[in-house]
Amino acid sequence: MSTTTGAGVVASVAPVTRRVRAYFAPVNRSAGIPTLFDAAQLGRFDLNAPPSPWVDLGWVSEFTRKCGTKIDALRAGAPAMTVGQVRTEVEATVSLKFESWGKLQVTLASGSQQTNLLTTAAGASPNGSGGVAAAPVPLLTGTGPASTATILNVGTTAAAGFNIGNLVAVDVDYTGQLGYVGTGVSAAYVQSASAVGGDVNYVRRVTLNVGVVTAIVSGALELVSPLLAGVPAAGMQVSKLIGFCDREGASFFQEWSGLFVMPGEQGDRVLIHYPRLQAMQGSVETEVGLAAPLKMIRLAGAFRALPVKDTNDGETVLCFRSYLPAVLRGV
Amino acid sequence: MQNAKDTFYVTLQSRLAALNPARTIVVRGVVRPGTLVEENELPSAWVPMDAFRLQWTGLQANSAGPLPLLAMECSIQYATDGTSGNGGMDRGRLLAAMDAELVSVLGAEPHTIPKMNYSAAGGGIAPTAMGTNVFWADPVFSAAKAVGERLERTSTVLVFAYQEAGEL
Repeated sequence: MSTTTGAGVVASVAPVTRRVRAYFAPVNRSAGIPTLFDAAQLGRFDLNAPPSPWVDLGWVSEFTRKCGTKIDALRAGAPAMTVGQVRTEVEATVSLKFESWGKLQVTLASGSQQTNLLTTAAGASPNGSGGVAAAPVPLLTGTGPASTATILNVGTTAAAGFNIGNLVAVDVDYTGQLGYVGTGVSAAYVQSASAVGGDVNYVRRVTLNVGVVTAIVSGALELVSPLLAGVPAAGMQVSKLIGFCDREGASFFQEWSGLFVMPGEQGDRVLIHYPRLQAMQGSVETEVGLAAPLKMIRLAGAFRALPVKDTNDGETVLCFRSYLPAVLRGV
Repeated sequence: MQNAKDTFYVTLQSRLAALNPARTIVVRGVVRPGTLVEENELPSAWVPMDAFRLQWTGLQANSAGPLPLLAMECSIQYATDGTSGNGGMDRGRLLAAMDAELVSVLGAEPHTIPKMNYSAAGGGIAPTAMGTNVFWADPVFSAAKAVGERLERTSTVLVFAYQEAGEL
């Protein structure tokens, strides 16, 4: 059977997609404000260039949405007959495997504060998430070019201590702040200065504002991609790190705004937007066998959606699914 | 169905030609990009070396939706004897180069292309775009086969297309 719905209009078919692309945006934890994605305005964005502040998390696999919403019958009469329905519980979860490992992916999958393994000071005592960090390097102002989201002006003397390929964390000093810390993205919650030992490097230890040095020119470190928090603010410093660490059992819940795009082979597109996601499991990875003894290790994430209010009608909802048909399709 | 086959072939040919313009073959005295569809050529026992030969083999139709979804199996065969200047000792490298070219063009975004009708095209007349897209899965590569001094391989890719109303 072939079906047309009008001159030049093709019958709508079920979307066919080969994979799912994930995007991250921060939630302002202090204000409780997520990043909302407006599919009406931005739904057709270039998948390789997401609109700010959305950040590409790469392709994901085994993307699975589960609806935990419970709908019960309202019964009346004798014998009881269903006269209506009521939602008694609303819940949505999503699970996936990240196809790439990066700071953001590892952080989100861990679901808690995730520490940068800052280069340690000489003689630092061993510690699971990294020992006492080496002294940070200040960003220079008034000398040489201004630092940007991709260029860190540390001066020629300090630059000599860096090499191409170094990982760096850029953020403010810890000076007793309480509550959410981390520039650009709330990376941890500090309950007391004593809890973090008054560590001047604590914010850089947890920040998601990290980058990779790809060139060193005239005292400036050039990064492969812009820092998540944009142009460094005054007072920020740079710490080298060698990797990332997360823990099972930490108290902080990461929260993020998630967007998942299924590009259809016919030019259609399905967008699934969770304004607020929190991890519902600890650090887990799964193995995908390649050929013995090789195994690929994928980061596994599982998240529970938290509610937002849709200002169009005041409804409290957990996620938005948008469908953008291909051109000239029946609807 | 023929429109989908033509569209995939033209797409593959143009992508391969853009990637490696030096890969050409001479067919009936005409130099062409090194890709051909065997069913579109004169029957011949001649096997062109260092070129991609397409054969349309399997076919499945799924009529569950409002438009029949066709899954067409395209078998892409290629072989090399190496170069005489190297005594054929570069045949492994040349086969690897062809492997890489196929991986590159079939894996490149997009994996979908508007279906074109070429039936009236040619002589300055452009093909016409149809209403749906042709798309394809990842290729599957067979083991390389040595036939004497020749190395050959077959890559199989499933090509999908919707059969539009009135389309044959």
